[in-house]
Amino acid sequence: MAGPLAPTRTPETTVDETADLDRPWVTIVWNDPVNLMTYVTHVLRELFGYDEPTATELMLQVHHDGKAIVSSGPRERMEHDTSRLHAYGLWATYQQDT
Amino acid sequence: MRPFRRKGRDVVARLDPAEADVLGLLLDQLEQLLTADAADVEGDPVMARLLPAGHRSDPELAADYRELTETALRSGKTDDLATVRASLPARGGELRLDGEQAGAWLRTTNDLRLALGERIGVTEETEPPDDPDGEEGQQLAVYYWLTALQGSLVDAVAAGRAGRR
Repeated sequence: MAGPLAPTRTPETTVDETADLDRPWVTIVWNDPVNLMTYVTHVLRELFGYDEPTATELMLQVHHDGKAIVSSGPRERMEHDTSRLHAYGLWATYQQDT
Repeated sequence: MRPFRRKGRDVVARLDPAEADVLGLLLDQLEQLLTADAADVEGDPVMARLLPAGHRSDPELAADYRELTETALRSGKTDDLATVRASLPARGGELRLDGEQAGAWLRTTNDLRLALGERIGVTEETEPPDDPDGEEGQQLAVYYWLTALQGSLVDAVAAGRAGRR
């Protein structure tokens, strides 16, 4: 389940025949020793439009817990979000939420 | 180096000639990696960090993701690199960037830090070198120099966003 800080955008309903509607896809950012905390916050604001407190909370979750869910929705959009994060050098993956 | 500061719509820093040289060399190395044949850099941990797997445990999904995104990611990174190279004062001096250039510098300096950090095995516990001589100390010194440069750029860009509101 996504934590209380997970983005509030509503996933679009898709007609993917394999879609398990109870389990949306999520994009996860993982902690790494190189990316600056200020940079991670900047990227989350830039890519997802989060306000500063939300982006900072997510960044701290990555830093302290090792990972954070930064977006959720249909698989295709999570692929896209992951690739946008990779373009900025963040360590991101997507998966079906567990 | 004089770190990045915001000046109106731009961000401005100043590089010493030696710093511009080092940055130029690092850009060459990064470009070689990004434009290498996939087979030649397969298994290179630096490439695995620059173009990570999209999925942690499902190889099929990871392969799908790579096929879907790798070409665009590579060309985005090489475009950024070209922007950085074009705006880098070859003999050092003032470095003035507009918003678009600043974005390319942010991403490329991050890629350089990721690549260098992976090569020298940077961890959460890594600290700046006591002795910046010797190959390892020099690489670490370059890494921390890049960190200072990128850190000041992030702050200067973020200050611009605050100013826009």
